Amino acid sequence: MIVGEQKPIEELWESIKGHQKVLVFGCNTCVAVCQQGGNKEAEILASLLRMKATQEGVEMEIQDSGIERQCEHEFFEKAEGRIQWADAVLSTACGIGVQFMAEKYAKPVYPGLNTTFLGAVEKLGHYVERCQACGQCILAATGGICPIARCAKRLLNGPCGGSTKGHCEINKDVPCAWQLIVDRLQQLNLMERYEDLAPIKNWSTDRAGGPRKLVREDVQL
Amino acid sequence: MTGQAHAAPREEAPPIEAPREIPPDWEPSILAFACHYCAFAAADLAGVMRLSYAPNVKIIRLPCTGKLDHSYVLRAFERGVDGLFVAG
Repeated sequence: MIVGEQKPIEELWESIKGHQKVLVFGCNTCVAVCQQGGNKEAEILASLLRMKATQEGVEMEIQDSGIERQCEHEFFEKAEGRIQWADAVLSTACGIGVQFMAEKYAKPVYPGLNTTFLGAVEKLGHYVERCQACGQCILAATGGICPIARCAKRLLNGPCGGSTKGHCEINKDVPCAWQLIVDRLQQLNLMERYEDLAPIKNWSTDRAGGPRKLVREDVQL
Repeated sequence: MTGQAHAAPREEAPPIEAPREIPPDWEPSILAFACHYCAFAAADLAGVMRLSYAPNVKIIRLPCTGKLDHSYVLRAFERGVDGLFVAG
């Protein structure tokens, strides 16, 4: 899922303070899992901003609403009334949702979150990066552990000399991805794969190739 | 979290709000959320016993304090309540 982190109230206030009617709009799928931008969090944020407006002595109306996903047209229908009512929207979706909504409506759409990474829920309240969406998955060769997302140097043939006692030199709390890969290959009895040199990766499928697009003609209406 | 995504540290600390002077006759407005099965029953019993309590405390009965929601707390503060008492 996409992990996000709510921006500080002061920064959000700077975005919305010039508007009369503001809709705090939640996105109830990915960013709701890390309890940062779901419909519930939008409700809480709207309340905090109303109190901020009162403290600042600014007359403005702040409401909240939300949908399941701000990155698909279909979900917007039920919130259309609220969106039309607003002068400006503070979206607590990830950067995708904010942009998608801004393309749909001719009104300011401000981000409520800093979109952080693609991650997993390691345990409650603990979100960890696992994928960088490089567009060419190599997990089959690395025992299911991604050195692109988890090695600070994105090494395809590792580890480097900075790996110490299973940890990365950038931070002793970061496990060395290549140590994890070796441990995993040993566990799976597949250590012979470690001897295979990874070829040079085609980075054109990553962001280096510009914004990416996938078209499935077979599922289009 | 990696801790890297936090906002950049401020260059100067935000101004601290000066506390307002409290009038001598001021009483805080307190809202109590009480569980139906314990705290509210106790308040009820206090009423039966003709015990009095401060009139600036208002009680709202919840079926359980587990029913308490963020939005109830925030809505109370938005409407000018000074403090909340959750009992259950």
